[in-house]
Amino acid sequence: MTATSIRNRILIWTLIVLLPVIALLHLFAGQITISFGDFLDSIFNFDGNNLDHVIMLELRIPRMATALIAGAGLSIAGLLMQTLFNNPLAGPYVLGINSGASLFVAFALMTGIPFFASDLGLIANALIGAFLFGMIIVFFSSIIRQQISLLLIGLMLGSFTSAIVTILQSVSGLQELKLFTLWTFGSLQKVSLDQLPILIITLAITILGAFLVVKPLNLLVLGSGEAKLLGVRIKRVRFFIILITALITGVITAYCGPIAFVGLAIPNLIRILLKTQNHAILIFVSLLCGGIFLLICDIIIQLLESSFLIPINAFTSIIGAPFVILLVLKRLK
Amino acid sequence: MIKTKDLHIGYHRPLLAVENLDLEAAVYILVGRNGSGKSTFLKTISGQIQPISGSVELDGSDINQLAVNEIPKKIAFVQSHFPTVDFLRVSEYIALGRSPHSNYFGKLSSADEEAVNEAIELLGLADFKNRFTDQLSDGERQLVSIARAFAQGTEVIALDEPTAFLDYKNKALILEKLIELAKKHGKCIVLSSHDIDQSLNSSCPFLIVNEKTKTVELHSESIDKPALLKKAFG
Repeated sequence: MTATSIRNRILIWTLIVLLPVIALLHLFAGQITISFGDFLDSIFNFDGNNLDHVIMLELRIPRMATALIAGAGLSIAGLLMQTLFNNPLAGPYVLGINSGASLFVAFALMTGIPFFASDLGLIANALIGAFLFGMIIVFFSSIIRQQISLLLIGLMLGSFTSAIVTILQSVSGLQELKLFTLWTFGSLQKVSLDQLPILIITLAITILGAFLVVKPLNLLVLGSGEAKLLGVRIKRVRFFIILITALITGVITAYCGPIAFVGLAIPNLIRILLKTQNHAILIFVSLLCGGIFLLICDIIIQLLESSFLIPINAFTSIIGAPFVILLVLKRLK
Repeated sequence: MIKTKDLHIGYHRPLLAVENLDLEAAVYILVGRNGSGKSTFLKTISGQIQPISGSVELDGSDINQLAVNEIPKKIAFVQSHFPTVDFLRVSEYIALGRSPHSNYFGKLSSADEEAVNEAIELLGLADFKNRFTDQLSDGERQLVSIARAFAQGTEVIALDEPTAFLDYKNKALILEKLIELAKKHGKCIVLSSHDIDQSLNSSCPFLIVNEKTKTVELHSESIDKPALLKKAFG
């Protein structure tokens, strides 16, 4: 066993232990102090008249689970896109997959039609938007060669979307405008206990889907040309990856708003830490690291909550954007 | 190992005709001027582009009847450029050559691992099998690419200008290794090259893209430099 693989094992086990610890810390990071006993009782002896039980079961546990699922899901989506497009700066946010979901959610929220603003309506719209923009990116990736051009196209899709959203904002009513603006802040608090299964199932499908394409992913790091020479059915794999990326990004975006940089930063970070291109390991560690990262972000937000409120999207951008600048500088050297 | 019949190649319209070939275990050096269709020929015999007409048989199978994941069991293809990938070790890169044979998740069997180790030994890469591929010199990269192609376990290997970016010593080393693979391991190797002098010294058979007749011709008997230059460059 090489030194790197021993180090990686230690790192992975540390993350496995760290995840439940951080998740537990997250449950107790809110402004109202709740005892550990009440936490256990809220699960095993729930009393609807006990406010602490209600806060724990109906607010904190869904918020913690949402942070974990959104972080894990977006990280896996970012990893898949970076490998698919053979571009370390790719990710659902940069390539405009989020923009697609945002645009369709904007349509949904600002048309004022009740079905569109319902859960199902939002998810359906976000999924359609994410998938549509995913296919646009696939189309462009098949006709352009330079990696940077694809990022520019993603950026342009983002600008195009913002322009349309601005027009929508200028013509929509005050109530719809408020609803949409709040959504763009990103939030991990909107998912109720009843809605959690949708997020859990979506993440489970994403993880399963990602593991199903481990072999093509390991070959795609060589570029799609080489992967094809080694037997990868490129079109089929590309479609499948876009489908699962759009699914997880769409569902998370619908519920939590656009959360930037997690999908971009985490997969890069773990590649640097683990020094491997084995996607069986990268997928698993993306899941752990992405979950831990968003949980920590949300713990900090909760600790600062009494002084000022930071939207989750702003917070991940504040941490993520400098990291991406560092990454670009490292690559340009 | 490679048989062609009434083959015409090109992108969408005919570029070259190919003499009916029956290539056996040896190194064949494909020469021709820039843009004459050498890459098109290599891509056609490796199933990357369809022939305009006629057929290519690899190891008894018509390449156009083979599924995408079956072709790499018949022919390994080495591109002229080496992919730059972070955090990919030499041994892992060579192991990717076993993908056409490994299970659904890409896990290597003991036979696969044996094939990878044999390729590493054969190409003399044992000393740097744990190095990252982006830390290799141009010569080392070509050796690693050839090792991956060898690990793939195909009877036919096609290489697109494998010595293009190498110095004289490395060019000679690569050609020497390929001749060894063909002789000792019964491989049919086709490579394109611009190094006429070195190729003539190797006494390998030539596939010449005839400038005048627009035909790929096989020259198994020895050919002198002026005659070769006249055929390939007019």
